[in-house]
Order: sequence, then structure tokens, then C-alpha cells
Amino acid sequence: MLKTMTLELDPDLLKQARFSNEPHWLKALRENAWKQINSLEMPIFAKINYHAWPLLDFVSHPVFNVTIPESVWSESNGYQFASLGQLVVKTELSEELTAKGVILCDMGTAIHQYGDLVHDFLFHQAVQIDENRLTAVSAALMNGGTFLYVPKNVEIDDPINLLQIQDSRQPGNFVNHTLIVAGENSQFQVLQRSSTLGDEPNAAHIMVEIVAQSGSRVKFSALDSLGQTTHSYINRRGYLEKDARIDWTVGVLNDGNTIADFDSNLVGSGSHTEMQTVAISTDRQTQGIDTQVTNYGRHSEGNILQRGILLGRSALVFNGIGKIIKGAHGAKAQQENRVLMLSPKARGDANPILLIDENDVIAGHAASVGRINQDQMYYLMSRGLTKEVAQRLVARGFLGVVLSDIPVPEVRQQMISLIERKLINGQGTE
Amino acid sequence: MATLQIKDLHVSVADEETKKTKEILKGVNLTMNTGETHAIMGPNGTGKSTLSETIMGNPKYLVTQGDIMLDGTSLLGKPVDERARAGLFLAMQYPAEIKGITNLEFMRAAVNATRPDNDPIPIRTFLKELDKNLEILNMSDDMAERYLNEGFSGGEKKRNEILQLMTIKPKFAILDEIDSGLDIDALQVVAKGVNQMASPNFGVLMITHYQRLLNYIHPDQVHVMMGGKIVKTGNASLATELEATGYAGLRDELGLDVDLVDEDVPAGNGGR
Repeated sequence: MLKTMTLELDPDLLKQARFSNEPHWLKALRENAWKQINSLEMPIFAKINYHAWPLLDFVSHPVFNVTIPESVWSESNGYQFASLGQLVVKTELSEELTAKGVILCDMGTAIHQYGDLVHDFLFHQAVQIDENRLTAVSAALMNGGTFLYVPKNVEIDDPINLLQIQDSRQPGNFVNHTLIVAGENSQFQVLQRSSTLGDEPNAAHIMVEIVAQSGSRVKFSALDSLGQTTHSYINRRGYLEKDARIDWTVGVLNDGNTIADFDSNLVGSGSHTEMQTVAISTDRQTQGIDTQVTNYGRHSEGNILQRGILLGRSALVFNGIGKIIKGAHGAKAQQENRVLMLSPKARGDANPILLIDENDVIAGHAASVGRINQDQMYYLMSRGLTKEVAQRLVARGFLGVVLSDIPVPEVRQQMISLIERKLINGQGTE
Repeated sequence: MATLQIKDLHVSVADEETKKTKEILKGVNLTMNTGETHAIMGPNGTGKSTLSETIMGNPKYLVTQGDIMLDGTSLLGKPVDERARAGLFLAMQYPAEIKGITNLEFMRAAVNATRPDNDPIPIRTFLKELDKNLEILNMSDDMAERYLNEGFSGGEKKRNEILQLMTIKPKFAILDEIDSGLDIDALQVVAKGVNQMASPNFGVLMITHYQRLLNYIHPDQVHVMMGGKIVKTGNASLATELEATGYAGLRDELGLDVDLVDEDVPAGNGGR
């Protein structure tokens, strides 16, 4: 167990984080969270020691940089929403979707224009403020993010793409919160792209709450490539009501140290989630990923599929947690976690954890930690491929089972290019 | 014209369990030029596969003496991928299966391995040639999209080796028992693919137990290997002769003291 460290956070941080003219309820929410920070414990990530990471080294008096470089403008093409730190670069929702009642805006705008909606869902169903110290920090110090609301029965064909860039051109605090509400029987796809601009060693706190109401279907993809000097805590949580479904595809391709919590709460009967993760660790980086499915609802189903690759002296830990609550009759929980080490000095781990409190359920797990197959390498190299190219092919092949399942072709392509880049960079540091 | 020369090659392998090394090749000499087709025949356990894997640069085989040279430059000390890019190709007896990598992307990567980074083969050129080769080898289009050798039958794997050979176009191809496990029809198809490659800039070294393969791919020279050495070299008729006398017959004719693995009676007239 992790003991609570005493922590002194400058009260100015709370003021700094505030959006302009915050409504009373949000001030109260922040203050409630702030008061609890010290008494709450840090979240537990099995086999990852992150105590010394500067996750809570916030800057009391950050300097705001309001220039948006050309690279960010051009990257924001193809995204409906883009932000750089606390700056909103663009919000661009088609008239058609606006007419259907779809809402897409930055959090600072949402709390004014759609205050009641945000109030109903923010830290209400998916994530609770007092789960641990970091959830409380996210609630107290949230200083940016996105709100997406898709009303009842609305179906959207094209994905909604969110680009959220951490601004590390100067010291600053990045506590980003994305709230997604899927109304009853709505259907849509979302891509969240997170990256870092600049190399100031700032922490990143990224939280996503998805509330999937009855019968809704959400395909959520995330591609994370935060910078090498960024220590990050990433928490993505789904709350699924009756017959709702969320398909997650997450690429954890950060260059800095990361702890990530990806959870789905299958609250409603017949709710279903597929949680697929690809992660690559390189150089001296450590990444720990806890993916949890909790079955509360009868006949709910949650499947976890994770694949990780390690290079250099890096570490990567997958903890897969399948939890079935008493009363979840007929629930299903399967998981498969596999890591492949391309370097003898890397440390990979895959731990399945099943916590089952009901009898008539189906649960299973598979896990493996392996090294690259030398016969495969020899075969590929015997056709002229260099060791590096052969390794990348084997790595890609290993991740293939997740990649081929990515529901949105553009995301798949983007994921593949990011993986290729990460592997090439990782090989460069060997 | 290119030349592959093997001089007094001695090779040992280490037993994976006991870690003891054992000498398999005991002084092999062989010279071949592009434009020529050579066959190496010999009984089981005589070092034929060791020779082919050693030429290609399999790290499991340790060269203790002698040399392997391509156009006068020693290949010893060069890793397998460098040898491949220098123009060697080994059609393997047991190709690896790799899930998640398609045949297509693998072969493209292989072709691009010998091209400059900024000049990869245009995809249309590549696909056009691939279609042509698939047709020659009676392979269906979906072979390109299937994962590399994954779930392939024995015959499909052999054809896939030849498909790679035709795609990569090396200077020298070593075919390690390409005929094993093939029925006559498949053997003809494989031979058709290899014969298609015939050119003054391409040489073939076939390794086989049986004369049958040589009916389809005609050798200029036949070498017989026994006890880790080439014991006799001749033209195509040597293979026919062997078919009649067997390896034991040749051994006795040459007066060699060599055990034949698959033979009940040890060497030396009832032996040791």
C-alpha cells in the first residue's frame, strides 16, 4: 500500500485553475476536492513505483503564452476541436450536427452555456472526486478540456476528432478534462489526440469521462504521444447504462513516464465494452497501465485486449482487472495482456487480476511476457531486411491483432504511423 | 558474372542441451558462377543443410576453418541481412511463420532493402510483378494478403519461398530441399518458377535427396556430399547413377568410412 505523502499545494493553484466567472456549483466542487487532496491516497498501480515522479509539481504562477504556432494550426486540420494548453484553437461543428442538438465546446464555455448539463455529469457518474488523490487534484485544478454532448437518438457517421495539445513551451499546468455524454440510443465515434508542444518538464493530468446512456454506442479512440519530459496521469472512464456499448482503442505512445487508468463500469444490464490498448515504451521510460472492467449489470460483458512493446531500458506494466460484482448474473469478463520485449534490458509485465463475486459468470484471462523470436528475425533478415526493419515488422505483427480491430480506418492509419515513429525513435536510443 | 566460392569450409554446431560442439562440415570446396545450376545430393545427416545455412549466415553455425567468398570478398563475419543484400537467397526448409505481417508488406520491405531509402519501388510496379509471379506459381491473389507463412500448408510454404525468390531476384539462390513434401504437380510449379529465373546473372544451388527434382530443374553439375565433404562431382548423369546404386553404393565404391544415418548396417563392412 502506498502511504499518503504530506503534500503542500499552494492555494493560489486553485485560483489559477478557475475558468472565468465560474458558477457557484463548480467553485464548490473544486473546493470540496481541494480540501480532500491531502487526506486521500495516491492511486495504486501494481508493480509500478511512481512515488518520485513530479506529478504534483504544479507551477503556482504560470506565464501564459497566447501565440499559436503555425504547426498547431496546420495539425488542427481535420479536427473539430483543437486546444493548446488553455487556449482554444478551434471549435468547428457542422450546422447539421448543431441543428440536431449536438454540443461540442471547450469546458470553460460549457460551464456557462450548458451549465446544467455539465453539472449533471461532471464528476457525478463516471469518476468520483474522492477516489484518490489524483482524481481530487483533477477536480480541483481542472483548467481546460472539452465537452461533447450527443442527444438522444442522434447518430453521427463521421468521427468527431479532438486535438488537445499540452503547452510545454513554458512551465505550466495541464489538467485537462473531457466530458462526453452519449444520450439514449445515440451513436458516434470520437478520437482524442494528445501530444506535447515544447519540452518544459510539466506534468499532464488527462481525464476523460464518458457517460453512455441506455442503448448508446460510442467508439472512442485515443492516441497519446506526450513529450519525453512530461510525466502523465491519464484516467479514462466509461459509465455504461442499460445496453450501452463503448469500444475503446487506446494507443499509449508517450515518450515520458505514464500511469494510466482505463476503466469501464458496466452498470446497466446488457452493457458491453471492448477495451483495446497498444502501448510502447522506449529508452528509459516507464509506463504503467491499469485497465479495469467492473460488471455490475446482469449479462454485461467486458473484454480487455492489450499489447505492449518494449525497447531500450524501458518498463511497461499491464495490469488487467476484471471485477464482477455480486448480482451481475450472466456477466462475462475476458482479458488478454501480452508484452513483447525487443531489448534484453527492458522490463515488461502483464498481470491479470480477476475479482469475482458471482457464480453464473464467464471469466478468463491470458497473459504473456515474451522476447522476440530469433528464428523469425533470422528469416526476415535472410531476405535483406536490416535488424531494425525486421524488429519493427515483428513488433507491428505483434500489435496487429489490436490494430486490425480499430474501427475507424483513419485512426488505424494514424496509429500505425505513430507506432512506426515511436519504434524508430526507440531503436535510435538503443 | 558473379562467383560464389567455398573454400575448405569447416563448420561446427553446438548442441543446445549439452553445449558440446560437433563438427559437421569437414572441408567443403565448391565454386559456382551465375548462369550455372548446381545440385548437392547426399544422404540424411551429411551436412547439406548445414552448408546452406552457413553460406546464408545463420548464427547457429560456427565456421572454424575456411572461407565463403562472393566475388572474391569474404562473407564470414557479415550478418545474414548483409549477405542477402549482397545477393544471396536461401529458400528454407522450414520457413518461419509470422503472424500480423502480410506477405505483401514483407516482400515490399525485402525489395526496398536493396534500394536507397528515398527510392522505394513504386507500388504499382511491385503489384504488377507480384501478380505475374503469383500466376506462374499458381497461387491465388489472397496469398499476398495472408500473414507470412501463417497457417500455410507445406506446399504453400515452398511456393511462397519461390515467390520471394522471384520477387527479390538474388544473384545466387540456395534451395534447401525445396522438393520435400511436394507432390508432382506442386514440384512442377516450383520448378517452373525457378526455371523462369534462368539468366546469366542468376545461379542456383539445389540441395536434395532425390534425383526427381533434377528432372525438372536441370543441373550443370551434381555434387555428392557425405560425411561433411563433397566426395564426388559430375554432370547430371551422376544423379541418375546414384539413383541406381544408392549412397551406400557410392560410399563403398569410393571406400569411404562414413556412417549413413538411415542405414541399418554401419560403415566398414559391418563395422565397429
